[in-house]
Amino acid sequence: MKNILNYSYYPGCSLHASAQEYEASTRGLFKALKIGLHEVPDWFCCGATPAHNVDELLSLALCAKNLSLAENVAGDLAVACAACFSRLKTTQHRLIDNDAKRQQVEKAIDGPVPLGKKVKHLLEILARDYGLERLQSAVQKPLAGLKVACYYGCLLTRPPEVPELDDCEAPTIMEEVLKATGAEPVSWSHRMECCGANFTLSRPGVVLKLSGDILASAKAAGADCIMVACPLCHGNLDIRQGGIEQASGTRFDLPVFYITQLLALACGVSTERLGLESMIVSPMPLLREKSLL
Amino acid sequence: MSRIGVFVCHCGENISRTVDVERVAQAAARLPGVAYATDYKYMCSDPGQSLLKKAIAEHNLDGVVVAACSPRMHEKTFRKAAEATGLNPFVCEMANIREHCSWVHEDREEATAKAIDIVKLMAARVRRNRRLAAITVPVTKRALVIGGGIAGIQAALDIADAGHEVVLVEREPSIGGHMAQLSETFPTLDCSQCIMTPKMVDVANHPKITLHTYSEIEEVGGYIGNFQVTVRKKARSVDMAKCTGCGVCMAKCPQKKIPNAFDKDMGTRPAIYVPFPQAVPNTPVIDRENCTYFKSGKCGVCAKVCGPCAVDYTQQDELVTEQIGAIVVATGFDLYSIEPKPADSPIQGYGEFGYGTIPDVIDGMTFERLASASGPTGGKILRPSDGKEPKEVVFIQCVGSRAREKGISYCSKICCMYTAKHTMLYKHKVHDGQAYVFFMDARTPGKNYDEFWRRAIEEEEAVYIRGMVSRLYQKGDKVVVMGSDISVGIQVEIEADLVVLATAVQARKGADTLAQKLGISYDKYNFYSEAHAKLKPVECATAGIYLAGACQGPKDIPDTVSQASAAAAKVMTLFAKDQLEREPIVARVNERFCAACFACKKVCPYGAVEEKEIRDRQGNLIRVVASVNPGVCGGCGTCQATCPSKSVELDGYTDEQVMAMIEAL
Ligand SMILES: Cc1cc2nc3c(=O)[nH]c(=O)nc-3n(C[C@H](O)[C@H](O)[C@H](O)COP(=O)(O)OP(=O)(O)OC[C@H]3O[C@@H](n4cnc5c(N)ncnc54)[C@H](O)[C@@H]3O)c2cc1C
Ligand code: SF4
Ligand code: SF4
Repeated sequence: MKNILNYSYYPGCSLHASAQEYEASTRGLFKALKIGLHEVPDWFCCGATPAHNVDELLSLALCAKNLSLAENVAGDLAVACAACFSRLKTTQHRLIDNDAKRQQVEKAIDGPVPLGKKVKHLLEILARDYGLERLQSAVQKPLAGLKVACYYGCLLTRPPEVPELDDCEAPTIMEEVLKATGAEPVSWSHRMECCGANFTLSRPGVVLKLSGDILASAKAAGADCIMVACPLCHGNLDIRQGGIEQASGTRFDLPVFYITQLLALACGVSTERLGLESMIVSPMPLLREKSLL
Repeated sequence: MSRIGVFVCHCGENISRTVDVERVAQAAARLPGVAYATDYKYMCSDPGQSLLKKAIAEHNLDGVVVAACSPRMHEKTFRKAAEATGLNPFVCEMANIREHCSWVHEDREEATAKAIDIVKLMAARVRRNRRLAAITVPVTKRALVIGGGIAGIQAALDIADAGHEVVLVEREPSIGGHMAQLSETFPTLDCSQCIMTPKMVDVANHPKITLHTYSEIEEVGGYIGNFQVTVRKKARSVDMAKCTGCGVCMAKCPQKKIPNAFDKDMGTRPAIYVPFPQAVPNTPVIDRENCTYFKSGKCGVCAKVCGPCAVDYTQQDELVTEQIGAIVVATGFDLYSIEPKPADSPIQGYGEFGYGTIPDVIDGMTFERLASASGPTGGKILRPSDGKEPKEVVFIQCVGSRAREKGISYCSKICCMYTAKHTMLYKHKVHDGQAYVFFMDARTPGKNYDEFWRRAIEEEEAVYIRGMVSRLYQKGDKVVVMGSDISVGIQVEIEADLVVLATAVQARKGADTLAQKLGISYDKYNFYSEAHAKLKPVECATAGIYLAGACQGPKDIPDTVSQASAAAAKVMTLFAKDQLEREPIVARVNERFCAACFACKKVCPYGAVEEKEIRDRQGNLIRVVASVNPGVCGGCGTCQATCPSKSVELDGYTDEQVMAMIEAL
């Protein structure tokens, strides 16, 4: 079975840890779509938020080294996690017009930084490279009747000059991809608001408020569930949902899916390979109600 | 010229910081034909000019090179100084070692070497300069004013009151511009219509002003004192001579549902319309795109009901050519719209404000129309979505302005003041209402301006929140405003009934096209450029063209009117002379060699080449040759480059001179 498209693939730490269902569903979906994902050998952490908060050179060097490892695998670099995507793209953006900084980083990693290696988020691959039409025809089990709040979070589109994924404050790429499955994206207010991100550990109160607003807004818009593209957002909206419900005294009961989970479900990938059981807010009642299991 | 003097200027430190001026002077002294060279801190100052004059006399100089700034800056100054000593002014030239050298280079060695090269070039040219005589041309004492906003109106009235004829060209069916749309005006809160409409009437009645409304500039030719301007008078479909302005046609037109742009699309108007009741002229136009007759051939009601039979569906656009001596450009501004921008635009939109899809998020001009007694609500503040009176209104400043990441870095200058005004107008009409303003800082440098802004806060109880807004969204019948208050470091959320955006002042759409017709320059935002930011704020670099109002940059009414009167004064200064001196940089034909192919005649963009008959004493025709009319020649040199027999040359730029300059390097 020949692949239609082939990519080098950088899963990032979360996908091997807290977001294993993202990894499993990504692999399942891409296999079903005949898109090859070839994992970069020996990849390591992109540095995430801590590195660039502490030392810029360190954060650039970590990403630069990963990019240079990715050079060993043919194809544009596919990234699933919104934060890894942002860090890798930021590194290229920072170094492309800054020779002094680039030389510093090259010294640190002992080799050139592949500034030309295209870094692509899964959404971009699905919507643009694979194409919405092809995606639509790959759907075997349309998600008809499922109302989904597409949640972008902070990093997928911002700052606009870095990801260059879509309109930075009014994007549509997630909704477009979702619509290909037959599900219905709801129109809602908080799709671009911050979930509280890393404050989940240091100041959970912030997250209870911010993620709580997001859940409330999705619920008010009539969503059955939320779709995300970032493991950290997922953690805050899914794992923290119970705590938020307790603190606010409101019941949301909103399962939080990764984009690839919903797409894989629609494309007929076996539900066993979607990691549905590891979601804290169980999607089973909803999927059963909509006859999607 | 064989005794040339070279004067190298430091320009304070502008030049000497990167160029070793002493070394340039020493190198210049060794050049062929150079008899004297020196350097001086400020050549253009009085002592600098005296130095030049003294050197000419003492060293018996017959040519001068001033190595300093751009000739656009000071060529006239130094030529005048040279002329005062009895030298022909056209043997004095400038070598630009500032704009072309010191300002654009960093390396002192390289910059100095380049400055020496530039001086070499000019010295080689001056060696071969001819002593030219200035050309005089008559001045047509008739001004063209483009744009009939307050800037154009003021300039036209001032020039006309001085006794000169003025042609005023306005693109819209009526003059008035943005000021006609305003309700009351800062800093005194006088009604805009009351101070504006009498001036509009004065324009219409002034015996010296010819008004072309619903008209545009088609073509501009000629030069200072002698422009030929073709104006396209768009077909109004109503005969202005016959129309009495009774308005029956507008009342009877069955096509009534066209959004009224003057009211920011809040009200409607018929297909035959005047933009607003106080329009000047008060003659309607037919909007052919929306007229049933023009779309389907049916209807014709307006023609039937018009008593004096003024409606004329067959009217065509008309082109009129005007002879003009000076031009005032007063085409004003456009407001930034928050709708999505085209992908290729360097300026971004506001997705976070809903791209104009939330009905109760309006711009400042829409608020002016709501507050205006002649507006669609009769001056009641009622929000567009459901016509209810808003009790909580949020104003957001700097939308599009001072936002480098959105593509505009400048401050729009007027919005701090008009937002303060809006909060007051709102409070005057909705006594129990509350106005909030999100702002970065208040910019109120004008006479009585800061007092006005303080009044909005201290007396009219507007709440000013220092911070920006990150998102607006509809929630039920409210618009939620998510913002920050950076003075206390908290996030704020206000559920507003109405949100008013103080959107940026932008150049007119198409300002660049008009500039290209006029041959004037514009900046990266398409605002027209003045000749000098400080000393020539109303002149264009192109002689005979002046700027007034917001077309040159964001401006309020007081600044606009001042600039308009200044531009008018410049026109009057020009018109005070009967003859103008022109630079004699024109082409000359060597009649002995001209092969009469008239290639030059075909290429000359100014139409300056004529055919001249050469006859013997008996009057028999011997030959026909090309001849250049120096009054018309624009000095572009196209003929020189074209002539196959090399028989036409531009004074000051002859082949010999250009070759000598190249060889000097
Ligand atoms: C919301 C708002 C509130 C304001 N409130 C105040 C206030 O309270 N006090 C104050 O001092 N200022 C205020 N201003 C500023 C004021 O509107 C401007 O200072 C003034 O209108 C500038 O006048 P102008 O003649 O330069 O430009 P405009 O008013 O824009 O007039 C230009 C004219 O030129 C015409 N035109 C354009 N292009 C062409 C063309 N190619 N050919 C022929 N004609 C053309 C246009 O149709 C228009 O009639 C406010 C502005 C705004 C947006
Ligand atoms: S005038 Fe005030 S509101 Fe307008 S752009 Fe400048 S600072 Fe912002
Ligand atoms: S220089 Fe030549 S081309 Fe130019 S205007 Fe004069 S005659 Fe025409």
